[in-house]
Amino acid sequence: MAETGHLGLLTYLALATRNLSRNHRRTLITLLTMIFGISTLTLLSALNDGWLNQMKTNFILSYTGHLQIHAKGFEASQNLRDRITEPGEVSRLMQSYPEIIGWTQRIRTSGLASAGAGSAGIQIMATDPEQETWVTSMNQRVKEGGWLRPGMTRDLLLGRIVAQNLGAELGDRVILMAQRLNGEMVSEVFHLHGILETGAPQIDRTLALITLNSAQHWLQMGQTVTDIVIRADIHDNTDVLYRLFTQQLSGLKYEIMPWQELDPMVKQWLEFSDAYGLVILFVVIILVLAEILNTMLISLHERQKELGVIVAIGTKRKQIFLMLLLEAVMLIFLGAILGYLAGSLLVYSLADSGIDLTRFANAFEFFYMDPVIHPQLTRNSAMKILGATLAAALLAGIYPAWKATRLSLSQALRIQ
Amino acid sequence: MPDQTPTSIIKARDLHKCYWVGTMPFPALHGINLDIEPGEFTVLAGRSGSGKSTLLNLIGALESADNGSVEVLGENILAMGRDQRTRFRLQNIGFVFQAYNLIRVFSARENVAYVCQLQGKGRKKSMEIADHWLHEVEIGHLGYRRPDQLSGGQQQRVAVARALASEPKIILADEPTANLDSMTGRRLIHLMQDLNRRLGTTFLISSHDPDVKQAAGRLIKLADGQIVDAWDNIPKPPIAPASACPVENLPLTKRLRNYLREARKKALNKRGHKMNEDQH
Repeated sequence: MAETGHLGLLTYLALATRNLSRNHRRTLITLLTMIFGISTLTLLSALNDGWLNQMKTNFILSYTGHLQIHAKGFEASQNLRDRITEPGEVSRLMQSYPEIIGWTQRIRTSGLASAGAGSAGIQIMATDPEQETWVTSMNQRVKEGGWLRPGMTRDLLLGRIVAQNLGAELGDRVILMAQRLNGEMVSEVFHLHGILETGAPQIDRTLALITLNSAQHWLQMGQTVTDIVIRADIHDNTDVLYRLFTQQLSGLKYEIMPWQELDPMVKQWLEFSDAYGLVILFVVIILVLAEILNTMLISLHERQKELGVIVAIGTKRKQIFLMLLLEAVMLIFLGAILGYLAGSLLVYSLADSGIDLTRFANAFEFFYMDPVIHPQLTRNSAMKILGATLAAALLAGIYPAWKATRLSLSQALRIQ
Repeated sequence: MPDQTPTSIIKARDLHKCYWVGTMPFPALHGINLDIEPGEFTVLAGRSGSGKSTLLNLIGALESADNGSVEVLGENILAMGRDQRTRFRLQNIGFVFQAYNLIRVFSARENVAYVCQLQGKGRKKSMEIADHWLHEVEIGHLGYRRPDQLSGGQQQRVAVARALASEPKIILADEPTANLDSMTGRRLIHLMQDLNRRLGTTFLISSHDPDVKQAAGRLIKLADGQIVDAWDNIPKPPIAPASACPVENLPLTKRLRNYLREARKKALNKRGHKMNEDQH
């Protein structure tokens, strides 16, 4: 018996397109539902990505940088004994990587601050004031007074809350107390040169910022430091740099930490937001899938007789399956593309002005969020939306297509 | 009826088929034996529910029998799998249905070309074949119209062209004239008879239309799922000649005039008949 041939793609496409347009009102309603669903999904994803990106940027620029290099064990011990004794060895590497746009050396230690009204536990951070401006935006967060300059050996900046708690004002004497390498407690008098407001209360509540030179001299650290902080050109290059430094500085001397590891809470919050985004994606896709499935099943019910005839005259079941699957895939893809375009237009129209949530700013400040959210379309989200849509298209198409192949010929042909 | 004919193109033996609605059995065929020779123009006649369509469906490999065997072109089609039957139908059997059953979204030529494409012929070649068969059934000029832009008679001609396009050995037609007016029905039978004579294609038609029965080379009568009578080479009074121009292609006013003339004739006949009865 001669083997049957394959229907050309043109025939499948013609059938799918014309079958979709034979009840154009129903197809239009289905498409509009999909466009609404996918555009809403695109906007929500863009808002989610926008504020996650803001949060990341704020977190990285407020204090941590993208990557920190410490002597092994420092992050856990926070002890000056675990310090980088040869910072020049690490610093030399910074010139080799174009992904690095800035880096600075720091000393971090805990201590006590006292001013006229009282005293408070603080985190002393010493940095090179010029280099720091390439790594974080702290210099732009000075609310009163000014940023540190090189050579300032007796000046400090305080976080807004710690200054409030101490009752310190610009020009006031502030005494810092800390432990030297040898365990000796020492104190020094500084003058309040400026007040910082980073937007992260946990920093504003504890930060006392002095110059690196003064700290090295006061704490008798020589040229040693505790942190080397690096800023990458884009967030996504953090992983690239992490791998490079891990390879270059492998051994027991150093620990290399990306920003995600420096504040586990922020990491958890970002993961939660990702999961939340996936839940929204899942719900919208389920709704879209239900709509498509409904449309396809009604269409199948209406065309039982025609499908019966098509099988009777020699169409193979797998060809029927492909016909109906292609119809669902075409419908859902058209809806997805139009929906994504509509969503993208919405996002672009809101990208500059953003969505102003100033009224809820207090609720967000713990999470490094700006009160105005700028939606942002990312490739990752687009892939997720289109991937989920494709999966939904296949799921919504497979069942009706499979059902069509189970059609009883004799019953289908008897339908009046 | 001969028990075995070596030249039989269709051979059915002891065919039984019963439909079930819930637990209620509805016997459709009860021990059918049938032989059809190549090139025959056979009509299955009988009342509605006599089993004509069921028998055609079994011969056309559209349904399975409960018992018995059907050999078409020497192949036991009841023993075939689903896909095998589909291939068999595509290569060997053409179907003409009562309600035309064209693919709504395809034009007339696309409907006809579709079976050729199923057979693996290229799109261009299939379209050429479609044009040829549409000309054969005298609607070559309507190839680009979709079924909803054609009259019933024109649609049934497309269905005949579709059935012929795959060059089948057998054409099964289930009540092909039932949805047509008598004149269009007669034209269609005339066309099928002509194709049967010229191409030698075997036609097996189920119908209770007297015009179709008149045209039969062989008439098989079914009742209650059994063959109750059969005539070979029954005398055929000439069926009304088809006009050169198919009625569905005439302008509307002419068609309307024809229709009114027919209706008037029928009414007069009826009245005359009644008057005769009254006189008696």
